[in-house]
Amino acid sequence: MRKSLRTLIPLAAAALPLALLPTAAHADSGTSYQTTLNPINGSGGSGMATVTVNGDQASVDLNYTGLATTFGGNPYPHVQHIHIGANGVCPTMSADKNGDGVVDTVEGQPSYGSIGTTLSTNGDTGPSAGTNIKVAPAGGSADYHRTFTLNSDTMNALQSGTGVIVVHGLDPSTLSKKAQNEKSNLVPSLPLAATAPALCGALSSMPTGGVATGYGATGGVEDLGLFAVGGGLAAGGAALFASRKRAASKAS
Amino acid sequence: MRHLITMLGGRRGVLALVAAVVGLGMIGFAVHAQQTAPQPQRAGRIAVSPGPAAAGASFSAQPSPAQPAPPRARPLGPSQPVHISIPAIDVSSRVFPLGKNPDGTLAVPQPGPRLNTVGWYKNSPTPGQPGPSILLGHVDSVQGPSVFFRLGDVHPGDKVIVRRRDHVTLVFTVNAVRDFKKAHFPSRLVYGGDDLSTPQLRLITCSDFVESIHHHIGNEVVFAHLSKVRSPHAG
Repeated sequence: MRKSLRTLIPLAAAALPLALLPTAAHADSGTSYQTTLNPINGSGGSGMATVTVNGDQASVDLNYTGLATTFGGNPYPHVQHIHIGANGVCPTMSADKNGDGVVDTVEGQPSYGSIGTTLSTNGDTGPSAGTNIKVAPAGGSADYHRTFTLNSDTMNALQSGTGVIVVHGLDPSTLSKKAQNEKSNLVPSLPLAATAPALCGALSSMPTGGVATGYGATGGVEDLGLFAVGGGLAAGGAALFASRKRAASKAS
Repeated sequence: MRHLITMLGGRRGVLALVAAVVGLGMIGFAVHAQQTAPQPQRAGRIAVSPGPAAAGASFSAQPSPAQPAPPRARPLGPSQPVHISIPAIDVSSRVFPLGKNPDGTLAVPQPGPRLNTVGWYKNSPTPGQPGPSILLGHVDSVQGPSVFFRLGDVHPGDKVIVRRRDHVTLVFTVNAVRDFKKAHFPSRLVYGGDDLSTPQLRLITCSDFVESIHHHIGNEVVFAHLSKVRSPHAG
């Protein structure tokens, strides 16, 4: 570290708070939340979702890939929700209380809560549409975009950081024999696999504004001390030399 | 010799001359030691794959066989990034996870052993998962140039190589470079964007240093997309 720079550190430190001002919060309108959708129960899928709230309107963009593609010869319906009202986290395998190797939807509820909003392809977006496989995206991957009126419970959960997106539906062949024979604890007419969580992501507010990734040590003129001392020596020396030279030539 | 000293104005004159020469030397050294980060040049296109076909509510399952999707590397599952290299600008750094500051901005590497390493925003996808994975590094620290000092010299087509904890190595290709003023930072474009389906990278550092306030007023953002996956067992 150049010694002369030490004088600049207080300046840089004084400038840092400038970087922390949320000046760019209004560069886009509305408030955005986002999450990475990670696989649970060994689903092998992966995805990302953003939720942008403007007033009472929510625009959801949700993408995933790698989930079970077919169910009984038809495109696999993957019901998807914003769960609310619990810890706002995704469950780990320790939530598998009955030891069947699957964290089912109910076992996951202490972590992510109950359904606040159904991310349906059309119609109702409330909790009651939660198990309607007719309005669920179908197939192994999805590119879902929908804008709808967000209910206040889900709105509050997003603001308090307890909203969790869960995409359901596992490939039955990947489950234990025990789990394959179990029924869904949500829809008893369906097998466990149909409603068990496959992707999960806790929503958090999108970062706002720019990033304070500089201190300014190389941005301006560095080595100010060296310039000052060098400049002083050069100017002083030159002046003194000129006067001595004049004195010497007078004397001779 | 004595004559020379007399000619130069006596011993004091010699001293003065030496001082002047040393001073000029110091100025010369200081000029030579000046370091300025390369300023990013706007280049490339941010969108690398076709966006949603239509506005409004839409849902599409897998691409229909009639309209095959353009070839692209398949998304991977999650695994944290541990190392990044950018051969074009001689960057090679370990990567550590970072969160957000209480005010909602991204946290940055703090003074200490990780100050000059690259940070990965832990709520963003891990590199290789669908969506933009956010990586950031300082352009400089109080000690001088930092890990992303030369990020302004990155151009579309350059490669960014990320190794993950699962030993998978990913090659990303730069598709765009942008310089944004922090006062008008397009958060949604940088941290989200229109395409959440393809694995992407964002590399962020500071730019636009303003001497009078001793502060960077801009951020450079490099946009890159996944172009190749090397699994640890594939030779």
